[in-house]
This record gives sequence, C-alpha cells and structure tokens, in this order.
Amino acid sequence: MEEPRLKLTRWIAVKIVTGLIMIWVVASAMFFLLRDLPGNPAEARYAQLIMHGATPQQAQLETAAMFGFVPKQPLIQQYGHYMWQLLHLNLGQSIAETGVPVSHIVFSAFPWTVILCLSGVLASFLIGVVLGVAAALRRMTKAGDGITWFGALINGIPTYIIAILLFYVFTTEWAIFPQGGTVSIEYTPGWNAGYIGSLITHAILPVTAYTLSAVGAWVLTTKSSVISVLGDDFILASELRGIRPLIVARYILRNAMLPLFTILAIALGLMFSGSVFIEDVFNYPGLGQQMLTSLTTDDYPVLSGAFIIIIVAVIAANFLADLAYPLIDPRVRRS
Amino acid sequence: MSVTASLPPEQLQKAVTRSRTVSATRWRILVRTPGRVISLVIVTGFVLMAITGPYLYPKNLPINANDIYAPPSWAHPLGTDFEGTDVLALIVTGARYVLLAAFIAAIVTLVIGTAAGLIAGYYPRSTGRPIMRVTDFILAIPGLPLLMVLATIWSFGSPQQMGLVLGITGWGGIARAVRAQTLSLRERGFVEAARGLGLPGRRIIGTEILPNVAPYVSMNLIMQVTGFIYIEVGLFFLGVVKYSSSNWGVMLNNAVFQADALTNTRALSYLLSPLICILLLTIALVTLANVGDEIFNPRLRKI
Amino acid sequence: MAAPVKPETATGAAVRVRDLTVAFRTQEGPLPAVSHVNLDLVRGQITGLVGESGSGKSTLALALLNAVPAPGQVVEGAVEIDGVGDVLALRRGALRKMRGADIGYVFQASQNSLNPLKRVGKLLLDLGRSHGLRDGRALIQQSKALLADMGLDATRVLSSYQHELSGGMRQRVGIVFALLLNAHVLILDEPTTALDMLSQAQVLEIIRRIHAERHLTTLIISHDMSVIGDLADRMAVMYAGRVVEEGPTASVLACPRHPYTRALLAAMPRITGDTAGARALPGRPPDLMSIPRRGCVFEPRCPLATPACLDDEPPDTYTGDHRFACFVTAGETQ
Repeated sequence: MEEPRLKLTRWIAVKIVTGLIMIWVVASAMFFLLRDLPGNPAEARYAQLIMHGATPQQAQLETAAMFGFVPKQPLIQQYGHYMWQLLHLNLGQSIAETGVPVSHIVFSAFPWTVILCLSGVLASFLIGVVLGVAAALRRMTKAGDGITWFGALINGIPTYIIAILLFYVFTTEWAIFPQGGTVSIEYTPGWNAGYIGSLITHAILPVTAYTLSAVGAWVLTTKSSVISVLGDDFILASELRGIRPLIVARYILRNAMLPLFTILAIALGLMFSGSVFIEDVFNYPGLGQQMLTSLTTDDYPVLSGAFIIIIVAVIAANFLADLAYPLIDPRVRRS
Repeated sequence: MSVTASLPPEQLQKAVTRSRTVSATRWRILVRTPGRVISLVIVTGFVLMAITGPYLYPKNLPINANDIYAPPSWAHPLGTDFEGTDVLALIVTGARYVLLAAFIAAIVTLVIGTAAGLIAGYYPRSTGRPIMRVTDFILAIPGLPLLMVLATIWSFGSPQQMGLVLGITGWGGIARAVRAQTLSLRERGFVEAARGLGLPGRRIIGTEILPNVAPYVSMNLIMQVTGFIYIEVGLFFLGVVKYSSSNWGVMLNNAVFQADALTNTRALSYLLSPLICILLLTIALVTLANVGDEIFNPRLRKI
Repeated sequence: MAAPVKPETATGAAVRVRDLTVAFRTQEGPLPAVSHVNLDLVRGQITGLVGESGSGKSTLALALLNAVPAPGQVVEGAVEIDGVGDVLALRRGALRKMRGADIGYVFQASQNSLNPLKRVGKLLLDLGRSHGLRDGRALIQQSKALLADMGLDATRVLSSYQHELSGGMRQRVGIVFALLLNAHVLILDEPTTALDMLSQAQVLEIIRRIHAERHLTTLIISHDMSVIGDLADRMAVMYAGRVVEEGPTASVLACPRHPYTRALLAAMPRITGDTAGARALPGRPPDLMSIPRRGCVFEPRCPLATPACLDDEPPDTYTGDHRFACFVTAGETQ
C-alpha cells in the first residue's frame, strides 16, 4: 500500500510526463511539417540565399536561424538541432517579416488573445452560472423554460455569425463602437485614461461576441448540475434538520459547481478555436489572427511556432486544472 | 377488480385506446411542439435543396457584369453577388456542399469514434489504454488551429476531402462517451452471462453492447452534424480552405472581406442570405436534437 | 364515522396525529398517500410503524415535520407536538427552528445524508449556528460526548468526510445530528435497511439505550417486522395510507386482529417450526392510482372479504388500547 504522499507525487509526475510527451509529439510533427512541405521552403530559402551571393556556411546559418534546422544535413542532426532550439525557446524566424524572431511575433500577439478570451470566459461563466441557477430554481415556470430555451438557442449559433451580426449592427448600422483594432492611434500607450478608455471601447464588442457564443453552454450545464444536486438526499436531510436556508443554498451551490470545473478546463482548450473567428472579424491582433496571416503568406515558421505555443498553453492549463480539482473535491483526494 | 374501479371511466377509455406503439410515441414526441414541426420542415427543405439543387441550375451559374450587388428584385429575389450571379441560385446550389461534407464527417466520426470507444471500453486494461491516450491527445488539441496547420499540407476543398479531414480530427468526443458507456455496460448482468458462456469478445461487443450504445450515438449524430456545419463554413469563412465552386462559407467570406459588407450596406442581401440559412439550419437541427433526448430519456417526456 | 376517543393514552401522548390526510397532485387529480390517519406517540415509549413500501409510512413521517415534498401536500388534519403545538400550522421560521430542536429526524438513506464536501465537524457547527448556538466549542464538546456514546472515535469522525465513514458509522452520525440539539421526539425512518446484520444489531442497541437515557419519544419506521417487534413498545400497521391496526406490540403480535397484520405475520418464516409454513400474501400492495376509492382498502387481497367490505371503510374497533379497522374480525370473540 503506497504512502499517500508518494502516490501524489507519482500522479503529478505522470501528468507532467504525459503533457511533455504531447508537446514533444506536436513539436516533432511541426518539424516534419517544416521539413517535408511540398515546395520545401527551407531548401528554397537556402537556394535563394546562395543565389544572392551568400556562402554555403552563411546560407546554412541563416536558414537554420529561420527554420530551426539546416537543409542538407542528415535527419538526426536536423532533428536534434531543431529540438535544441525549441528547448531554448527559439522558434525560428518569420519568412514574411524577414528576420524577425517568431517568438517575438507570437509573444506579442499572445496577450491580446488572452485578454479577449479570459474576459470572455469569465463573463460567460458568471452570467451563464447565474442564469443556469435561476433556470434550475424556476424550472417549472415560464421564466425558467425561457432561459433554458435561450441558452440552448445561443449555444447552437456559430461564433462567426454572432461576431458578424454584432459587428454589423453596432459598428455600421448604429456606429457606436469602433470598427476593429485594439486601440485608436491617437492615444499614447501607457496608464492614461485615454489609452485605457480606448482599449476598453475597442474590446467591448469582441469580448461580447465571445461571451455570447460561450454563455449558452454554461447556462445548460449549470442548470442540469443544480437540478441534479437539488435531488440529492443531503439537501432534504439538511432541511429536515432545520439548517438555515442560506447555508443550504451554499451547500447546493458548491456541490453544483464541482462538475463545472471540469467543463472549465475543456473551455480553456476551446478558447483558442473560438477566438480565431472573433479576431478575424474584429481585426484583433491576437494569436488566431496571426495564424491566419501566416497561413495566407505561407509563413511556416510563424504558423508552426504559434501552434506549438497554443499547444503548450492548453496542456499547461489542463494540467493546472487537473491539479486543482482534488483541492476542491475531497472525494477525489485519496486517489 | 377494484383496480379498474379506481379510475373514472373517461380516463380509463383514454388510457386504453391511445396507441402505445414505439413508433407512434416517437412520432408524437417529434411533432409535440410547433417549433419542432417547423424545424422538421426546415431540415427537410434544406436536404431537398441539397439533393436536387444542382440539377435546377446550369453547372456554371451565369454572371452579369452589369448587375453586381443588385438589391433584391423579382429577377433576383435575394440579390446578386460580386459577379452578378443570382444569390438564390448560389444558396440552393451551395446547400449540397454544406450538408454533404457535414454528413460525411459525421459518418466518419461515428465509425471511428464508436469503434475506438467500444474497444477501449471493453478492454480497458490492455488495448484500451493506448487508444485512450490517442483519444485524449486528439481531444486536447484545439480543433481550428489544427485544421489550419493541416491546411498547409493539404488543401481539402472537395466535400469528400473536407468530410474526411473533419471526421479524422473530430472523433474524440464520441470515443470518450462510448467508452464510458461500454465500461458501465460491461459490468451488467447480461454481459457477464455472455462472457460466462464463452462468447468471444468481438461477438459480445457486436451483439450485446453495440445495440445498447446505438441510441445514444445516433441521437448524438444530429449534434455532430451541426458542429461540422459550423466548422466547415467557418473554415471557408476564414479563407483557410479554398474551393472553386461557391458554397455558403465562401459566400460569407466574399461578403465580409471582399464586398466589405460589414461596413456598408450595398451587399447586405449577399451577406445575410447565407447567414440566415446557416442560422435556420443550425437552430432547426438543435431543436430536433432535443427530440432524441426525449425519446431515449422517458423521464423528460411530457406526454 | 365518529372520531374515535382514545382512552388512557390521550394524556400521555407527546405527538398526536389527528385525521391527517396527505395527497399528491397528479394529472388524474389528487391521490391520497395518507388518509385520515389518527396516531398517538406515547411519551417515553418507542412506537413502531410497519408497512410495505408505498403504504405511506415515510410520507406520514415527513408530515410530522410538515416536510412533505411537492407535489404532495397536507390536505387536512393536525399534528400536535408537546411544546410546539400544531406543526402544520407553523410559520416558516418557527417550523425551521422546530426541526432539529424539538424533533430529530434520522434520514432513511443516512448513507448520503451529509454534504459530501464538508467535514462532519463543520456540518455540526452549521447545525448549531442554524439554531442560534454560537458557542462552537461547547457544541463540539457536546458532539464528542454524543459520538463517544455511539461508540465512535469522536475526534476522527469530526474531521472526516462522509465518504470516509462506513455505513454503520454514517447511520450513527445521523442519529447524532438528530439528537445534538436535545430534541425530545426522535423519528427513525428505516434505520437498519442499508446495513449488514452486525451493524443492524449495533444500531438497534444504541437506539434502545439512547431512548432510555434521554427519555425520548421515539418513532421507528420499518418494513422489517422483526425490528419493530424487538424494539417497539407500541406498534402501528399501515396499509395503503391508513393505519389498519395499532396497539401494544405484545398484544398486536400475539393477537393480530386485522387480516393484513395476520397475513404479514403468517408470511414470516420462523426459526422454530416448518419454514414451509410461511405463506405469502397474494397480490401486490397498491400504488397511488390503484387504491380503491370505496370500501376497505385491503379488500382486493383480503381472504376474509365480504360484499359489505366494498361499500364503506371499516371503523376502528377497540379492545383495551388495541385498535383495528375491520368489519369481519370485529365480530370475533376473544
């Protein structure tokens, strides 16, 4: 019988290793992608450099800097070189913006996506949970049915449609909000009211779009979770013991929130998918838009670099969620 | 004797004469609300459009340089696009791609996902483990970025290719759900009995477990189709995949990014037509998905 | 039928149920789960309530706390409790206070009667706080004493979650929750049903001891006749929402007067004697919809049924403080 603490460390270790393996698999896939793409871009670059008069050595160095491996070298060496670069967080250089490090591009786009998605996830969670609880408590009434219907409806509407409609109605029909971008040029970046204000006005529509597309699922899941808890024995038992209604409400809430937590982890993964549409429509320079641009400009290092970063972020987020779950559910702790 | 004496006669009559066959009940659930009837009509309409659409129009739709972005009129009930082609024609002929690709994708996920789930659930300690690792891996990777990366190697423009790619990347959810059900069914009496009789695993999976999993899976099919419509149209909208002939996603893309329909009102009908079609179809499918819910979960019934 | 006058026990009853009717609102109209029940719980005695599932005994118990869940509701009647008054007439605040403080209810499925996310100690503090007891330390001291009295390791139990306790432990913790606030009436709904035989014996012993130590008025509900026979001073038999027989346990078991009681006893195999002598009662207990609306509710399964049984519900007949409701056996001589 293993000591509990030993089991815990073993469990954490297994999770970390699994996550790292996943990242490694994706990185390797990217490697082979870059290397074996039709119209081999690495070779093409190398040839181009030679044509422009660079020595083979120089050309090799430059290509390596851009792609993470040297063409013409044996596979093993290329692979090793690539992985080594990756470990040093060097994702190569952009083709489209020649010479600019991919990590620079990716990490400057990353925060915008995070701002957008985090605000959206938070807002949709809060609104969705409140509505879901209301729908559960009033489930035999018109109001409850109405909320459920609304949640199911909005859950089915594709994100880009919501984004398009919002954009059209609020920037063209009624020109309340600015048409895209993150901030007006006239404001200087910094902690001043103008800049912050402009940031916010530019973010309202995209975040609203995200929130609307995500809220439906929260409403439905919360409602079913609350209903299932309401039917649990201990709720009736608590009422029979004369427990104060506020305390019983807290029991219900905390127990209903539990399964929502696992949904949250999944939502983190979907975060990057949904944001692409919104960033495209609202011209928001996040990671999604960056991937789109690199796709159209055939900027493979940026594309693969962005993909790797997204994978790392998702796996890290899932890992944290897995770690945190036993903290909130004591029944899971012993395993 | 007193059982029958306990119910008033009118209710007794009602209880006896109302048809209780399975199909009759299912039909009643299907048409219970006006919303469902409308949804049924909508979906049937689009399916008919998908099947017959391309036959109603010539292979290459006529273009008319003089009539670009025309507003709705008798000749063109939904206006025209950037080449002067009738939008209504575009919608009707575009329906086939949308539905075909989604349908193919749904079938592919169904087959792969169910097979993977059944095997992983029935042999959880041997073959199941690597299968679940793969499934978890696929589920962890965000779909859209993955598809974007895949688009660099392979331009999956035709409906069959699109369906295949979406299917191969999207079977994770079904696999996980089927696995969970198989795991619990595995412990049930009838499966133990079959194992005790010495029946081979394959046979048990096929004859005992599959029929019990099938209802859930088939009900899930509708939601899957909805999801795939969402993704494929989205891919065209973003411009990730290029395709020669028109479909709703391409129309959206053109309207938003070429015609700049979001910032001016001239190509409004070109923008709204595919948009409303997608909305109608999605909402109709979601409404019908609830039917499956009610059929297989009698507690939810209100009949 | 004139309301029966109960001799002797009237002054000594801590709980008096009068003409209680609880009905469930359904699409076919209101269906009675408990019908015109009169029952007294004698102060200081253990009363047992026996019946098959669906007989209405749990609904009756919940009605004693005015806690019948929707779509059920009390249609008529009164439940008077010493020191509280008519429970069914209490306002919400007073009702909540009474629960736990005057009546302790030990839940049928004590297996899951606790919030799985909180430790037992914290839940007991919640109980105290809900009833205005702010001194946590004193409450914990009391809980420890009570837990020890149950034969449990107090410190360990207080810091445990529900899933860390065994079935028998959970049942005993349920009793602690019911008695912590020094209620004088204790209701146990199927206290031994989910337990193995050894735990059953333990729990029954604890109930007997606690009842005596605290001078409680106890109601035990069970479908298991042997539990009732072992513990109860008085017993009542329920069928289809009605009390068909009631009296001192010894008297009811030795001379059952209602055909249903007789059938129940005849169906129990004895350790001594021929097990083949046990005879099951044909038919099934009625559900809400199939309860006869006229005449005696037991008539469909009764071996002594006569045509007269179809017309009216039989009134209570008394022999001493043993009553029963049957036309046919009322005419029997001792």
